[in-house]
Amino acid sequence: MKIGMMTYKTLIRMIGITKKFPGVVANNNVDFVLHPSEIHSILGENGAGKTTLMNILAGMHQPDAGTIIVRDQTVKIRSPQDSLRLGIGMVYQHFTLIPNLTVIENLVLGFEDGLFLNLSRAEQRLQKISATFGLSIDPGRKIQDLSVSERQRTEILKILFHESDVLILDEPTSMLSPAETEDLFHTLKSLRKAGKSVVLITHNLSEALSISDRITIMRSGKNAGELTGDMLRAMDAKTASNRILEVMFGAVPESRERVAEKVFANEPVLELKRVEALNSQGVAGLKCVSFGIAKGEIVGVTGVDSEDRRLLAEVIGGQKRTTAGKLLFRGRDITHTNIAQRFELGIRYVTDDRMNEGCVLDMALAENAILQSYYRQPFSRLGILNHVNVQSFTGDLINRFGIRATGPDARVRTLSGGNIQKFILARSLSGGPGLIVCSNPTYGLDATTVRLIHQLLREESRQGAAVLLITTDMDELFSCSNRIGILFNGEISGFMDRNDATAEKIGKLMLGIRE
Amino acid sequence: MKNVDFAGFKPTALSIVSILFSLMTGSIILLAIGKDPLIYFGLLFSRGMGSSLGVIESIIKMIPLLIISAGLLACFSAGLWNIGTDGQFLIGAMLAGWAAPWVSNTLPYPAYLVAIALLGIFGGMAWILLPAVLKARYDINEIITTLMMSWVAINLVTWLVKGPINDLSTVPAQTTLIPSVYRLPMIPFTRIHAGLIIGIATLLGIHWVIRKTTLGYQFRVMLMNKKAAMHAGMCVPRLTVYGLLISGGLAGLAGAGDVLAVKGLFQGNWNPQYGMTAIPLVFLARLNGWAVIPLAFFFSFLAIGGEFVARDLGVPVFFVHVLEGLTLLFFAASEYFEKKWMRR
Repeated sequence: MKIGMMTYKTLIRMIGITKKFPGVVANNNVDFVLHPSEIHSILGENGAGKTTLMNILAGMHQPDAGTIIVRDQTVKIRSPQDSLRLGIGMVYQHFTLIPNLTVIENLVLGFEDGLFLNLSRAEQRLQKISATFGLSIDPGRKIQDLSVSERQRTEILKILFHESDVLILDEPTSMLSPAETEDLFHTLKSLRKAGKSVVLITHNLSEALSISDRITIMRSGKNAGELTGDMLRAMDAKTASNRILEVMFGAVPESRERVAEKVFANEPVLELKRVEALNSQGVAGLKCVSFGIAKGEIVGVTGVDSEDRRLLAEVIGGQKRTTAGKLLFRGRDITHTNIAQRFELGIRYVTDDRMNEGCVLDMALAENAILQSYYRQPFSRLGILNHVNVQSFTGDLINRFGIRATGPDARVRTLSGGNIQKFILARSLSGGPGLIVCSNPTYGLDATTVRLIHQLLREESRQGAAVLLITTDMDELFSCSNRIGILFNGEISGFMDRNDATAEKIGKLMLGIRE
Repeated sequence: MKNVDFAGFKPTALSIVSILFSLMTGSIILLAIGKDPLIYFGLLFSRGMGSSLGVIESIIKMIPLLIISAGLLACFSAGLWNIGTDGQFLIGAMLAGWAAPWVSNTLPYPAYLVAIALLGIFGGMAWILLPAVLKARYDINEIITTLMMSWVAINLVTWLVKGPINDLSTVPAQTTLIPSVYRLPMIPFTRIHAGLIIGIATLLGIHWVIRKTTLGYQFRVMLMNKKAAMHAGMCVPRLTVYGLLISGGLAGLAGAGDVLAVKGLFQGNWNPQYGMTAIPLVFLARLNGWAVIPLAFFFSFLAIGGEFVARDLGVPVFFVHVLEGLTLLFFAASEYFEKKWMRR
């Protein structure tokens, strides 16, 4: 194609991109520039808006505001086809190949004109591309018989096959072994040599540093900073990573007065012993996780990967089965108990998916208030609900926690996000729980509600409950926790006392850098 | 009564409006085929509701609808679909027709009635057990499996009644006739059998279970947000089996009731297809047991009246099915507009 011939100073410019999803601003006035023949990493934690930004470029989403300029021309990218026509192709984290078609059939899919397939011509072209970039693959094999890295290779070949010169890869190394990662990086470098540009979406700092010509850092939907090739070359790896950590996590309150509450260290409420669990892909998600939470203690756990955090919470709540290891609650083995049994023991899990898991939006507050305790007295007896008791219980929650709702009969949907969260927390705190697991309990809430929720959690710990606070909010992590644990790649990469923790230490552990 | 809520009457209003619209559209169709709609509907209402025969026939026809609807109420309230009530009905009916003649000789009359009713329930439950387990364990779509099981049932009972359970003393393929003393008793001073009481009691019972018990509560949570139900620790697979078993069992009971009270025997080619009427009925009633009763009566009246009028006016019997279909269409449309207006 002719487009590669002329040289442009900037290949792609995205200016002022804003994209809102219900309840979240995924991209907030983001600028992004891609130059010809460079490897450009977009770095940021999960939910920072990296993938959304690139999905916009690949035609999967339409921006609410902003301009996209490709090769000095303002364009509208309405579909992935539009994007491919502009020479932009994306490899998703979850592959989009059709499993029971062969490699070559997948490559020509949707692009072959005419009534009859001319696969041999396509195969010749594929052979040429494979040879150029060192991406060998048997075109006749079916996708379902390929390994993960071979599938990825096919995805890359598919983009090259359509003569694209911009490749976007979403977390490409998350499923690869170190050797396969090296192979992939080798390929990316040869692509760069051939004049193509690569965008690498990643939350792995060391990887980004090892291969990028340029790094863009995203933080809560915004472009938080950019390191150019010159800047990267001028710094050694340690200075660069420190600089990036600062941009990624911002300034963290170094020491906030956290009144050291009384922790009964010799009275462990929950103990995890070498716990393992599978993630949604069916591979090991949590690996050998061991720690304990004592009575009166708030343990903060953070980590960049949302699925790791979720698995940890669900393993304790009972939503997820463990594949190995043991869980002890007040010394009793609860590994094989179910959600309801754990609830009965006093374990409460406040999910971060408030709208979909935490409540039933189209049912009344009263009916949501007993979502887990419906079978108990005084809410029901012999299987018959006691409407009056449920109503008065809900009314009590509304009054005590200052929930803004018209009454127990109001549907949850009519409440604001903050009030829904207050309600869910109120429900969980009733009845003197022994352990509260909260996942991002203040995500998306206003400052007053945030303060209130922190107060509630502290109050609960003061009264002897153990709290596991799983959060990505550094401020919250530092101001609430007695101890801080960090998850990386499904493992606890570090555990420390609040007083020994610094933003730098935690940031590094979050990104898997060990000294 | 401080809880009187006028918005609560809106569903009723919408159902009535849907019915009126369907009658109006039906009139246009009648005009198009050269019949006078005024005469048609005039006759329909005067024969169907104006005569005691019409009313009694309509009520008798309504009874299986009530029992099947009660079961559907339970499974629809849990977000589960049982499209195969006809199959469960036939299995229940077949078992009743096969067992009643000889059980009536061995058990005292009340025990015999209970035994046959339980047999009907058992038959219906057995027929939905496989789809229920498949749905609960492997999330296999119950719409397809229950429907397919219906076809199996239709062929199975046809075969059984031609062979193993055929009364060889009669020419047609059917079971032995149940003597009239062993039929379901009549409600005193009427010509309506006791099935009406069973039907209304079952329907209102299920209505109560759905709203007032922990089982019904779990069903409703499952319908509104299955993810939340699982997250809260409700045993969704078990609830799935319960919900479908209730609906299958009641469809079987309706079958047994129809054999015991109306037919007196089971015939090979008999398939009244009540399910196809009961399913839209329960939706028109918006999963409200009380609302099912007048609607079930209306639908039965349409069927009975339609039969009467067909003979006089030459309008095909299945024109009432057109009316039923139109009612549903308008009901669906009304839901759409209601949602649209609510959003404003």
